[in-house]
Amino acid sequence: MRTEQKDLIYLYCATKTKPLFSNFDAMGVKIYPIYSQGIYAIASSVSANEFSKDNLEKNLANMKWLEEKALLHEKVIEELMKDTTAIPFKFPTIFQSEENVEKLLKEHNTEFKNMMAELEGKEEWGCKMYCDADNFDRHVREGDESIKKIDEEVISSNKGKAYFLKKKKEELVKDVMNKKISEYTKDSFDRLAKASVKTKINRLLPKEVTQKKENMVFNGAFLINKKWLGEFNNVLDYLKTKYADKGLIFECTGPWPPYNFCSAAKDING
Amino acid sequence: MDKIVTPQDKDSSLDILKEKKVTLLEVLDRALNKGVVISGDIVISLAEVDLIYVGLKLLVSSVETMERLRGAPMSGAKEEAT
Repeated sequence: MRTEQKDLIYLYCATKTKPLFSNFDAMGVKIYPIYSQGIYAIASSVSANEFSKDNLEKNLANMKWLEEKALLHEKVIEELMKDTTAIPFKFPTIFQSEENVEKLLKEHNTEFKNMMAELEGKEEWGCKMYCDADNFDRHVREGDESIKKIDEEVISSNKGKAYFLKKKKEELVKDVMNKKISEYTKDSFDRLAKASVKTKINRLLPKEVTQKKENMVFNGAFLINKKWLGEFNNVLDYLKTKYADKGLIFECTGPWPPYNFCSAAKDING
Repeated sequence: MDKIVTPQDKDSSLDILKEKKVTLLEVLDRALNKGVVISGDIVISLAEVDLIYVGLKLLVSSVETMERLRGAPMSGAKEEAT
């Protein structure tokens, strides 16, 4: 059912060395390298029926299609990462001709090479922290001296004053909660950062996105020297223990292609 | 570098991997929003990418919501902050 439209070139990533392509048949994907000046762009030929601008826009709104293609993008890069340093391209990166890809590799040759050098032997890990509201609430109410003090005052107060104190207490609780969560996430971040080469703080994702009952309170990525992975893991274990009864939950994932550490220009920090 | 590590690997330095569960969200958040951005011949703008999220019911309404949430770890806690 294919129309006579010309095929397009889909890019996964750039690599430092020519990868082994033996594993990709099993994935049902045919990939090939486009080489220029010491950099390989890893590509697949795709149909314009799927990836031309108009068709792409339609397909990107199709959950099933997007899931399949995005996961394949990720899987291919992960497979390549086993043998070589890979710089992931944003999904979807599409070209009309091999000449255009070669031109790109030439134009940005120095940038690619610098990135390769920087990323060699390193991998990206993601770390998200969530706050278990019940646990955290209890920890704050039971552990904070100033809050305890108000509780004691309430007991020895008349109805009117107790009402006022309770109101005051809730404000204080809110205040202390904010301070503590900032303190805990900062402490955790600082410690994880010490075991990392680079860090990146990303936007928090709301519950609608995470589909978790806990609020996300930190979302970051860490570039780790593979040799230090054990150290990073130790820090994480330490933090989990330290904050276990304080309502802070850690979720680390990886290794990822270094998505967060290959766009020099953009800075989403802050 | 395998992502699946059995719980028995207690003392392995890859302990960290036990939690690994690649969710679609994790992949999309990276692949769509991060990575090397080069002008391919076909350019899909970021606005359109945001629309995708909405289409997926994965993501909130707008970037502004995200920005607001970024500054406020606890829901409601910083409402009065500037």
